[in-house]
Amino acid sequence: MPSPTRRLLLKAVLAGYATAWLPTAWAAPGDAGQAAFLDLSALLVGRSYVDPAQGKPLFEAFKAQAGDFPNRCLALLAQIQARQLDPATLQRVLDAEASPLAALPRQVARAWLQGVVGSGTKARCLAYETALNAQMVGDVLRPPSYAYGAYGSWASAERSDA
Amino acid sequence: MPDAEVVVIGSGICGALAARRLALAGADVLVLEAGGPIERGQVVAAFRDSPRKSDWLAPYPYHPWAPHPLYLPEENNYLVQAGPDPWPVQYLRGVGGTSWHWAAQAWRLLPSDLRLASLYGVGVDWPLSYEELDPWYQEAEELMGVAGAEDTGSPRSQPFPMAPVAEPWAMRRIRERLAPLYAVTANTAARNSRSYGGRPACCGNNSCQPICPIDAQYHGGLAIRSALDAGARLQSHAVVHRLEADAGGRIRAAHYLTPDGQPRQVSGQVFIVAANGVESPKLLLMSGLANRSGQVGRNLMDHLSTALTFEADEPLWLGRGPQSPSAINSRRDGEFRREHAAYRLDFTNISRVDSVTNDLLEKGVYGPAFEQQLRRRVAHEMGVRNVLEVLPDPANRIVLSGRTDALGLPTPQVHYRIDDYVRRGAQAAQQDFALIAERMGGQRLRYSAAGKFSANHHITGTLAMGDDPARSVCDRYGRAHDHDNLYLCGTAVMPTSGTMNATLTAVALALRSAEQIRPMPAARA
Repeated sequence: MPSPTRRLLLKAVLAGYATAWLPTAWAAPGDAGQAAFLDLSALLVGRSYVDPAQGKPLFEAFKAQAGDFPNRCLALLAQIQARQLDPATLQRVLDAEASPLAALPRQVARAWLQGVVGSGTKARCLAYETALNAQMVGDVLRPPSYAYGAYGSWASAERSDA
Repeated sequence: MPDAEVVVIGSGICGALAARRLALAGADVLVLEAGGPIERGQVVAAFRDSPRKSDWLAPYPYHPWAPHPLYLPEENNYLVQAGPDPWPVQYLRGVGGTSWHWAAQAWRLLPSDLRLASLYGVGVDWPLSYEELDPWYQEAEELMGVAGAEDTGSPRSQPFPMAPVAEPWAMRRIRERLAPLYAVTANTAARNSRSYGGRPACCGNNSCQPICPIDAQYHGGLAIRSALDAGARLQSHAVVHRLEADAGGRIRAAHYLTPDGQPRQVSGQVFIVAANGVESPKLLLMSGLANRSGQVGRNLMDHLSTALTFEADEPLWLGRGPQSPSAINSRRDGEFRREHAAYRLDFTNISRVDSVTNDLLEKGVYGPAFEQQLRRRVAHEMGVRNVLEVLPDPANRIVLSGRTDALGLPTPQVHYRIDDYVRRGAQAAQQDFALIAERMGGQRLRYSAAGKFSANHHITGTLAMGDDPARSVCDRYGRAHDHDNLYLCGTAVMPTSGTMNATLTAVALALRSAEQIRPMPAARA
């Protein structure tokens, strides 16, 4: 069951622009921060659903690096809801305002899309072949280091609608 | 009794294959390596776990007692940059050396590359001819398992060991659309197009750099293993910091430090320095040897590149097959070399997924637009770069810096200036870039930053060979002019760089040096 806080947020966001992108409830009861992280993640990566099992280690890694990470997720999600911010312009808006949350969307999106949490010497890779950028092109490409196929299989035309 | 008949310093592909040949010829060979072991499976796992997939040094072990230059996530400042231009070269110190993470490009030079001064009035001539190199190229190609096409401009008296690796669809389309304006040919690579040398054919892992997970491409790790199989011995964790000469100028011992700083030494009858184009001159400078000419560390060359990335008007999906399959060779030679650098035009087949993801995240592209743009760009983006020849210039050099490493040894310092010859070559290549983009229906063209060049890590010239002891470090066999039992192996002995990756030429020269040291009995040849 969603927590009251999360239910409130979901309700509010569902009423706003971002309705089409929102995931359903997956987080453990009482963990509003993790739930906000998942909702925010779905918005940023353009999916109606992100896998909470894949999200959990990302969330835990973020939290280990910065204890206020859950609250930042809650705050950003609340802003998105309250101001009906579009993912397409979100970063531009936050950058223009020099928002203290401006770094968060890129951090969260990177975690899902490349499996990387943190930056510089603190960067950790928690997913590779299951990262969403690999999944998004998985019908055509294999992640580097994984075999494409038998010798010469790459010589044929790729049938794709891209 | 000396500790070994031949002491080889450096276990990279050149030192290892020289050691192998000498061991097969019956010599007692000891290889000293500063770094520790490198294991393929661990590197593959480290690559998959790396937060920086395009940083090809990241998956490799770093040995604090034998540092190499690191740039990410933070610079370690091992190689001191004295400028005026930066030269952020990469190499590895570890068993097997830098060719663990090479692209396996195993090109021969052109005959004209060895006669630049005579033909075009620039650079220098080599002390040997291409024809003298041909059999050594062949031996190297057979050892390394080289696959290539016949139409590269480099003559050969025997066929390649293997046919070219199957052409990726993207490269086929580029070849078809650029014809007849440009001839796009298969790159010559030490990559298996069939089972060869007990290793499988390529299966398109597209991680040739930093690591081929199945050993379909040859590397120094395989080379040193073959040397050990032939009977050579290996001492890793041995940081050689001084060669000692006797009163007659013959080298008698190599002094090294263990990782905890304990001094050791080995004696030998013949010494081979094969520690790469930075570390080898550094060792000679630390030893104060082989430098009567004053040329040790000078004439540093590396191929330089500028690049164009754009979106073709058809989906190509780079990333299917090996990383660097095709090139245009028509700019490698001509009268224009009197005026500007020759170059090769190289097409990448590296998957765009990671780089496009980085770019979209940098731009703040979120929501459904991310996947749409990722797929469009990954399908359509292609890249071409030039690989520019650099001329020898004594002012471009490696010296000892004022800094020291963990063992208290001086770190190298580089003085590097990119000259107008290279810049004019890059300018000429811009016209090719534009034509290629036009033929491919290119949109959203992105040229590399004006005046900026990327390094290719082909470190040549710093121990250049020549006939004149006053102007070169070693002779045509790699033997130091000043010490008759000291040989120098590796890309550093090349007097000019040409336009092609240097490894195959360096291996060919190392095999030739080995034959000079101890000829292979006819029965084992």
